[in-house]
Amino acid sequence: MTKLYTIKVKVNGTEYERSVEPRLLLSDFIRHDLGLSGTHVGCEHGLCGACTVLFDGEPMRSCLIFAVQANGHEVQTVESLGTPEHMHPLQEAFSEKHALQCGFCTPGFLMTLVPFLEKHPDPTEEEIREAIDGNLCRCTGYQNMIGAVQLAAKKMAARQEV
Amino acid sequence: MNLEGEHVFKGPRDEVYGMFRDPEVLASALPGTQSLNMVDSNHYEGTMNVRIGPVSGAFSGKLEIADEVAPEKCTLIVEGKGAPGFAKGVGHVHFSEQEDGTTLLKYSGDVQIGGTLASVGQRMIDSVAKSMIKTAFETLDKALEARLAAKAGQEVEFKAPTEAQFAAGVAKDMAKGWTQIAEVRMVLYVIPMAILLAIIGFILSKCN
Amino acid sequence: MSGKVFGQSVTRNEDPYLLTGKAEFIDDIELPGMLHAAFLRSDYAHARIKSIDVSQALKRPGVVAVYTAADFGDYWRPGPLQVPPPTAIKGSVFHARTLVPIAKDKVRFSGEPLALIIAESRYIAEDAFDDIIVEMEPLDAVVDLEKALEPGAPLVHEDLESNLAAHVVQERGNYEEAAAKADYVIKRRISVDRCAGAAMENRGLLVDWNDRTREMTIWASTQAPIPLRNSIAARLGLFESQVRVITPYIGGGFGPKIMTSQADDVLLPIVAMWLNRPIKWIEDRRENFLATTSERDQLHYAEIAVTKDGIILGVKDMFYHNTGAYDPYGMTVPLNTQTHTVSNYNVPNFKTEVKMVFSNTMVVTPVRGAGRPYGVYVMERLIDYAACELGMDPVEIRRRNLIRSDQYPLPTGIIGQDFVEGVLDSGDYPEELRKAVELIGYEKFIKEEQPRLRAEGKHKGIGVVCFTEGTSVGPYEGARVTVGANGKVNVSTGISTQGQGHFTVYAQIAAEELGVDVRDVNVTTGDTGHFHWGAGTFASRGTGVAGSAIHLAASKVRQKAIKLGSKLLGVPEDQVELCDGKVCVAGDHSRFISLGEMAMKANPTRGTFEQGAEPGLEAVAYFGPPYGSTGAGALAMIVDVDPGSMDVKIEKLAIVHDCGTLVNPMLVEGQILGGLSMGIGNAFYEQLKYDENGQLLTASFMDYLLPQATDMPDEVLLGHVERPSPLNELGMKGVGEAGAIPTPACFAQAVENALADCKLQIAETPLSPSRLFELVKKSTEK
Repeated sequence: MTKLYTIKVKVNGTEYERSVEPRLLLSDFIRHDLGLSGTHVGCEHGLCGACTVLFDGEPMRSCLIFAVQANGHEVQTVESLGTPEHMHPLQEAFSEKHALQCGFCTPGFLMTLVPFLEKHPDPTEEEIREAIDGNLCRCTGYQNMIGAVQLAAKKMAARQEV
Repeated sequence: MNLEGEHVFKGPRDEVYGMFRDPEVLASALPGTQSLNMVDSNHYEGTMNVRIGPVSGAFSGKLEIADEVAPEKCTLIVEGKGAPGFAKGVGHVHFSEQEDGTTLLKYSGDVQIGGTLASVGQRMIDSVAKSMIKTAFETLDKALEARLAAKAGQEVEFKAPTEAQFAAGVAKDMAKGWTQIAEVRMVLYVIPMAILLAIIGFILSKCN
Repeated sequence: MSGKVFGQSVTRNEDPYLLTGKAEFIDDIELPGMLHAAFLRSDYAHARIKSIDVSQALKRPGVVAVYTAADFGDYWRPGPLQVPPPTAIKGSVFHARTLVPIAKDKVRFSGEPLALIIAESRYIAEDAFDDIIVEMEPLDAVVDLEKALEPGAPLVHEDLESNLAAHVVQERGNYEEAAAKADYVIKRRISVDRCAGAAMENRGLLVDWNDRTREMTIWASTQAPIPLRNSIAARLGLFESQVRVITPYIGGGFGPKIMTSQADDVLLPIVAMWLNRPIKWIEDRRENFLATTSERDQLHYAEIAVTKDGIILGVKDMFYHNTGAYDPYGMTVPLNTQTHTVSNYNVPNFKTEVKMVFSNTMVVTPVRGAGRPYGVYVMERLIDYAACELGMDPVEIRRRNLIRSDQYPLPTGIIGQDFVEGVLDSGDYPEELRKAVELIGYEKFIKEEQPRLRAEGKHKGIGVVCFTEGTSVGPYEGARVTVGANGKVNVSTGISTQGQGHFTVYAQIAAEELGVDVRDVNVTTGDTGHFHWGAGTFASRGTGVAGSAIHLAASKVRQKAIKLGSKLLGVPEDQVELCDGKVCVAGDHSRFISLGEMAMKANPTRGTFEQGAEPGLEAVAYFGPPYGSTGAGALAMIVDVDPGSMDVKIEKLAIVHDCGTLVNPMLVEGQILGGLSMGIGNAFYEQLKYDENGQLLTASFMDYLLPQATDMPDEVLLGHVERPSPLNELGMKGVGEAGAIPTPACFAQAVENALADCKLQIAETPLSPSRLFELVKKSTEK
């Protein structure tokens, strides 16, 4: 058996301490060790973006790094955004604009877009396309996501005013 | 995949030919070679372990030397397989003496690859192959220099590159042409490629 | 036709769960004591297996078991033919060679499973690949479709005389006579290469056998839960009721998940029984590319006979269809090609012949579009070649030949995937074309913009094509609609859902009928424990067929509620109505009984019961159409070609579609947009490329290019023509495949128009910048 390493990772605000094999992918750690299965794995080679999480606030593909590399870092997953009863404005906008179908890739898009919207509170269509260009979706053709992100930006701006 | 090329060895043909008939030199030109055994004068068997970054793969190969007209030419038939897939190749190698006392090696071959090598590595295999062959020739050049020096009574140190050095060389060559490709994974694919290349190099070197 | 919720763009009931990571997909399920499976797959495309030594693998800590074909004894046998042979077509030849669960004696495609490893973790199971020693004798591979049928070609199935899997000829009228009378006969060789379904979620199966109750629960990411359950039960000698197949949320289907006889489907259930532990298998992306099914791989020799006025007299098409190493899915795909080759147009004489060919490549089964895109591609290309030859406007030549709106129902004379003669039930093709031409601004572009752009040295082109989409085919689907004691409505149906929005669309259908809030309708799809009759999700039939069954079942429940309401409220039935979750007296809504209370009363637990009555506010209904309803549309696009890089940007795209009654316009548009992105991929980005030895060269998203957000058109315009189908009460037709069907044909026309007008004649798809560069180079050399 491979040697196990003890890691401490803060995920969605909770500190976890776990013993893991050094080869365990962060995506598998999040999904199977922590049971946070909202992060999905679509290709295991860093191209589809479904497994995107925030790593110290920046979007990162959790299938391309090992859990041990997350030791001492902070991770946020889709579970940190909202609940079915109280969704994040971006989640609401995705539903209102029909920007998801099977929903498998959606958590990756959301985790890519949350920091994007922080940096671009009023994004253009072109900026949105660029932002999501690294995430693959087979169902929607991306078109409705553009409108959803613009709607989310408006919702977020309105909330800040209040 | 077709491979074709040439290389000039700074030494007489007989000497170059002799070097290629020395399994130890051969193995040194192909880092990761764990064993290279002569089954009979025309058949060799070997195993090779190539490691680059986090991926490693064991490859076992068979080599047959056919239509040999020493020290002028031969045909190499090679088959290798392992976790990353398989390779099957036929290579024709030709040595000619040149007026300046050097030896010109010309090679041409057709290599069939399968498995992960083909399905995820195909678009890089060409450049990796060329790079690996180049690295192998550089090593052989040094070996030849050492042999010739030893004959002349001088000592020139010949040290085969380590696997890591070899891999780094390949990766560097690769990077020149492939800087834009999906970051991390590319490095992973270099490994199976390297293994394949090693096999090809193995064939080529045998021929000499 | 629209009502309070039916016909409205309501947001989806399923969204909050999907958006917050709460929706459970198959790999999210963890059971106590669960083992993990991995398949060692063949690197060779065609080889004889000499030996497989697994002894070292068994010694690896964490490996529980390793199996090869030999370990399965008599249980090993080829899977069932999932779609029957085309015996309805006179003179047809069909050789069934169905999928084998795991390779025995010989492998027939690269990626075919050789050994099944069961371990405590997936990591360990894959470690064991290195321990297994496989000795194989490589054989020459068959990849090229024409060479495959040459005498002496290596045989994929050695018990057959050749690699011919099937041969079907269908004809209406007499093409040869028509061609003799034509002013022009134009012949071309047209090829269509492969693409993948590439759902973002790969396949997966989790089997849990309970040794005490002798019941098996299977979670599967399948499009066909009921056929899967039936075939597993039959193989294991169990009753269907002992096996429950549950589909969790599924991350896209697009066709390949319809298969029920892949290695995992067949082997995991029995291994789970042997080991008496739950076993999970999740396909990885490379396996999905190599060994799940894929589609589109045909070579056509097609010709069109036209008069000098551009009237089509006849079309002939002889084509080869690659079925891959096996043909478990019958002839669905090539039959779709045959039915979709001429269906928009009046073509009095049509001959279509298919030779289906075995090859050493992955098995071919439907992928979104399923044979339709290349029928349309061939026809639309032929019309474009004819327009060039005649010097006629591409839109005008189409106008002259389109089926008119007064011709329905129109029998086509061609038997399709449902083994009955195709009949075009309804539509208005000229109106669709007119609208698309108007939306894209065709006249203005051709007359004003393009001449100006050309003068500026820009290469922008326009394309306009028409298409039909056979949908909502039989045999049947069913549904159960139940009002619960909580006053809410539960709907169950046998088909499964892969993201289409069934949880909402079905809720709308039931809610409209029963007067409840759409959020108060819970829909269960694809759980044989809830509903266990039906065929599955394919051929854009979810709404048209299962939706119709739900409508019928909900109507029955409504009748029951009215009957019981009349009794309880003491008023005649015609004075009772359903509103806001209650049964009320018409005109006096203060007199009512809630649906929940009614549901309780409909299930008396003491006293007497009326003979012949059925308990509960519940009903089951089934629906099967006599033949499928045909959706249709027209697509137009303007492209900008960079002649230096041969990159093509779709600037503007307009699609007009008729799917009959729109249940939820927003979701219909979502389907069209998604289909379009796949069509764009099929036109210019995606290609599963095999080398001559049967090695797949594009088994990752690095080489298999799925369209990205920046590859999509800058502007998309959608239009609808609503011609309800007479084949079901609600007038629905399918829409799932619409966008994928016409796109490659339209793209080719637009690119030709941008570059050279007739000098370049594209006769293949998919294209790519490098392929386009070669074609242009060739056309200018001529």
